[in-house]
Amino acid sequence: MLTSLHIEGDSLLHRLPVRLKLIALLMLSIVLFLSSSLALQAIAFVIATGLYLSVGLSPREAFKRVGFVFLTIFFLAAVNLFLLPVAEVAALTLRLMALVLFAATVTATTTISAFMDEVTILLTPLERLGLVRAADVSLALGLVLRFVPDIFARYEAIREAHRARGLPVRPLTIIGPLIILTLKDADTIAAAIDARGFRRQ
Amino acid sequence: MKTRDLVLIALFAAIVVVLGLIPPITLGFIPVPITAQSMGVMLAGCILGAKRGALAFLLFLLLVVIGLPVLSGGRGGLAVIAGPSGGFIIGWVVAAFVTGLIAERMVREGQAETRQFIGFFLASVLGGIVVLYAIGMPWVSVVTGTPLLTVATGSLAFIPGDLLKAAIATLAARAVYAGYPLLPART
Repeated sequence: MLTSLHIEGDSLLHRLPVRLKLIALLMLSIVLFLSSSLALQAIAFVIATGLYLSVGLSPREAFKRVGFVFLTIFFLAAVNLFLLPVAEVAALTLRLMALVLFAATVTATTTISAFMDEVTILLTPLERLGLVRAADVSLALGLVLRFVPDIFARYEAIREAHRARGLPVRPLTIIGPLIILTLKDADTIAAAIDARGFRRQ
Repeated sequence: MKTRDLVLIALFAAIVVVLGLIPPITLGFIPVPITAQSMGVMLAGCILGAKRGALAFLLFLLLVVIGLPVLSGGRGGLAVIAGPSGGFIIGWVVAAFVTGLIAERMVREGQAETRQFIGFFLASVLGGIVVLYAIGMPWVSVVTGTPLLTVATGSLAFIPGDLLKAAIATLAARAVYAGYPLLPART
């Protein structure tokens, strides 16, 4: 049900460490936001498009992933045309599209476990201060992945129960029972985790 | 943190993912379709309280960032954060926290039902609409260059839908509060 947006591959971008890619994304956004040069934004856009298309996504999937964000960008660009000079609108739009494409490239070339390793490293200072435990973050992430299919099945069961009684399926009558039924499991799950000593408490 | 709190946070983040899988509803009198997922902020604050609600959304944000398609419509990844509406997604964490703070202060067990409804509704509106837009709109303005006033005017189209969401979240939160209270009380 939850398949990662990562795409298998062996390109240079796939092999680069996550940290480098994230720093590059951050640097790129800072540079592009500080510069108002149309040429620079255009070059960044062309390079980002090239990189995005080289990661091995099918054209349809490649379009689907950024299509919605681009729609918002184009809509706002159309509004901007009435308010700002055309050259400025072009620069702003190209910058945003370049950043979105580069970000989508990073997502497509990085596995979830690589991201999680990086998150664990980033959490180390907080862990030293005793504020958070990296193992807890991984545990919570695992729990989400484990329970999404269960909760979805429960949603469908409640929806079927509505149909069986001839009731209209409304968010209001579904959300309440769905949340109560799901959260009521918390005690059992917590007991199961503690019984196995996962958190060493 | 107690294991139970950790589990509640994870389960709520999972509920928010599932809310994203429910098809959005379109209503005749409101221009934008209503996604159940955006109600999650109000629900998280009103049901789990400030701290756990915000952490549930921080966990959800982590799922988005590491490339899981958990946003409604199967979207996700860093591209969404880099796009114009990234501020709204990051703002969810703060919005859930503020919603929780207000709900914790206003809602008590044993209060009249109407007062609980008012408390949850105020918390949902202030946290889930006012705070969320206060973060999301300047973000849109900065990344797209559209003047803030124009963004604010355009956002008015979403307000009727948001108020309806706040009303649904209020009723659902109150139902959960009656059936399985988790909201900590704060004086």
